[in-house]
Amino acid sequence: MQASPLANFQATVEQLETSGSQLDGIPVDLEESIRFAGARLTQAAGVLLRLPQEVIAQAIILFTRFWIGPEGGSLAEFGAAHISAGSLYLAAKLSAFPKSARSIVNVYAFLDTIPSTYADLEQLWRENNPEEYYVSPGTYERRRSTLFNMEKQILKVLGFQLQVTLPYTLAITYLQALSAFDDPGATDLAKRTFAHLNSALLSPQLLLLTHQPPTLATAAIYLAAKETNVKLPGVDWWTIFDTDREELGFLVVGLLSVETFATAEKAKWADRKVPLTVEEVNAEMDRRQSENAGE
Amino acid sequence: MANTTAAATPPKGITRRFHGCSKIGEYEMIQKLGEGTFGEVHKARDRRSGKMYALKKILMHNEKDGFPITALREIKLLKIISHDNVLKLEEMAVERPKAEGRKRAILYMVTPYMSHDLSGLLDNPDVQFTVAQIKCYMLQLFKGLRYLHDNHILHRDMKAANLLISNRGRLQIADFGLARHYDEPVPQRGRGNGEARRDYTSLVVTRWYRPPELLLSLRRYTPAIDLWGAGCVFGEMFKRKPILTGHSDINQAQIIFELVGSPNNESMPGWDSLPGAQSVKDWPRQTGSITNKFNMLGRTGLDLFQKLLMLDWKKRINAIDAIEHPYFKEDPKPMREEDIPRFNDSHELDRRNARKDHLPAAPAGGTVGGGPNGEWTGPGGPPNTGGPWMNGDRQRYGARDQGPPGVPAGGRGGFDRRPPGYENGGPPQGRHQPDWGNGGRERGPGYGGGRHGNGPPPGDRRHILPHQARHGPGGGDRDTYIPSYEGGARPREDRRSRGPDERPGDGRRGSRDSGNSRDGFINDRPDHNRGYGGRDRAGDSRNFGRERRDGRTRSRSPDRRDRNRDRDRDIYRR
Repeated sequence: MQASPLANFQATVEQLETSGSQLDGIPVDLEESIRFAGARLTQAAGVLLRLPQEVIAQAIILFTRFWIGPEGGSLAEFGAAHISAGSLYLAAKLSAFPKSARSIVNVYAFLDTIPSTYADLEQLWRENNPEEYYVSPGTYERRRSTLFNMEKQILKVLGFQLQVTLPYTLAITYLQALSAFDDPGATDLAKRTFAHLNSALLSPQLLLLTHQPPTLATAAIYLAAKETNVKLPGVDWWTIFDTDREELGFLVVGLLSVETFATAEKAKWADRKVPLTVEEVNAEMDRRQSENAGE
Repeated sequence: MANTTAAATPPKGITRRFHGCSKIGEYEMIQKLGEGTFGEVHKARDRRSGKMYALKKILMHNEKDGFPITALREIKLLKIISHDNVLKLEEMAVERPKAEGRKRAILYMVTPYMSHDLSGLLDNPDVQFTVAQIKCYMLQLFKGLRYLHDNHILHRDMKAANLLISNRGRLQIADFGLARHYDEPVPQRGRGNGEARRDYTSLVVTRWYRPPELLLSLRRYTPAIDLWGAGCVFGEMFKRKPILTGHSDINQAQIIFELVGSPNNESMPGWDSLPGAQSVKDWPRQTGSITNKFNMLGRTGLDLFQKLLMLDWKKRINAIDAIEHPYFKEDPKPMREEDIPRFNDSHELDRRNARKDHLPAAPAGGTVGGGPNGEWTGPGGPPNTGGPWMNGDRQRYGARDQGPPGVPAGGRGGFDRRPPGYENGGPPQGRHQPDWGNGGRERGPGYGGGRHGNGPPPGDRRHILPHQARHGPGGGDRDTYIPSYEGGARPREDRRSRGPDERPGDGRRGSRDSGNSRDGFINDRPDHNRGYGGRDRAGDSRNFGRERRDGRTRSRSPDRRDRNRDRDRDIYRR
């Protein structure tokens, strides 16, 4: 239980084998879609709340941890949007940038008015209509109490283990160690590295729950250097960051696959909403069932 | 309640990596050890292992902000530290309300049960400390502090009552309700306690143990504040009572200067530019009486004592150097923990109860001092010396298992001591946690609250502290520990987004375990998989903190579920 800036609590094999949702009969593909959409929702809400990416990333990791394993939360019981809000509230509360329950409720109310999960943002801002996402005092009371309940659920499922170590600062340190900042393309390299680390948060392979921060940082740097044509040492430099070639290769593939996955998700859901509440999940299940019956 | 199924069916290999939360039914409450404004402490036996624990209830006074941030921080902090001389948070336990009407779950922090606290032990007339024993305790205290400081943690409430002692001679630092992340370089060997570059709140540390720089409102303080407290504890072990018992903050500063001499530019560089220095300048000069009053410490002991009670916080000895002080190398050598005799359980709580008749009643009043400096006003009765024990009234304190005093520990045999070298506690791995604990920032860039600003604060609320207890249900017979600030005004709470009135009223959930243990110190610390895999997750354990959902349970809509799901799940859950 030692704190280390290099290690995170990781998902166990058992936790990756199944989940509360799957035990409740939710198909894996739907679960993945919802987890992905929920993580995106958390990211969006965090941006709207002007939270630093550090806090948002922690919230996404808490969110992701919540759903894994047979003892994790089930989508048949908890709405992903609620857990997303709870995670963000909790992560912000523990950070230097706490957000009020009211702010959280407002932002999630706004995000809920977006007609489809993969909506075009430009269009969204043009059609901004404050009346749609106004939260009345009575509604707020209810939602706040839900938020607090979700907060407790998260604490319970996570066993109060809120420690989250992120790879971002580590990546900078590694870039410095590699003297990468001497290169004219260093800024792009660093940006690209962070972009990959942000993608990792959304990975359907739960990369942040299965790999330690040093390895993630190393893989992101490796990939970013290839993409930005920054020359890194010709030797197996990743080994000094506790990463072997095999793991590096796995992570590079994993990081690259996020984009493919995201594109597929966008195509799959098109102009529909990914179900982020229990009711929506139920409706989606019914829809799938009748579809199957119709065939 | 009894987890019979779990007992019958051993865990089936599900490792809960995020484990840390169990049902209260897994503990058998043995006795209520105390009750106060801030919570209750129970001694309890873990049904699974038979070990004794202390369960501290987390009260949810003010749910405006959901789960109390103070509790959350303390839990998060305790979960990432591990050292032989720091009280371990074993896990959290949830009690699901039985009555329909109550919705909220009650949470307990589960810590090992310790037989004594230092404050209680010192007041126990049956207990005699030898110098070797004092050295043993002080070494352990310094080791705990070295670990905390090296991990960027300030304890901020060092005092005898927060030092728990097992019947195996183990000392542990308890009560991290005021602790916070220290955002600066950690102390280095031979270099004092370093300097801070940012402000922290000066409303910390129980008054009698509060260092002079805090009394003068230094905001950029360092781990040196904990070392001052350790110095006070050191002296207290010889005097058998707290050594600096100021009845107000101003008086506290006065008696400090009486003991160690008035501050000047040599003894406390920079003191006269501290916010609270003005009034001190008018006081008569003191030369200090420390050498006379504490000559029983011996030459080297006195040297260490003076280095701990050094006015200059930059030069005050750090924990690393204190451990290496010649005092611990000369005869009598520090006793080994296992050689320390066992004592009757003694807790600060009992001690106060026992002497209730001899002391004047707790100071009346309760007015809030509101002078321009905040720190310097108020009627301020004696600060509560209270410790991690909640007080309770005596009647509730169940029959106590009074072993014969001073039975040597040797009689027990079979110490499951750790292998040699445990004392070093292992090098802390995490030197810095970038994401952790920064929530305690006292003063954001846009801080506008003025509470800790230079302007008149809304009164120094800590003065009222001893009286707060009177609001407790037990009336005057109860003497609740409240730290040096009113419950609502926990010093690290001063965030811009909250006014003082909105602060969570949980205040200090100050208590730890109590009572007696023939089990002594629980020495094994399974670092992983403390899991109770046998938990039956389905059903009630998941209802924690939640309103009864409208009949919606996992077992609904069988149409889309595997019929065997429940059975499968049971297997999984076990």
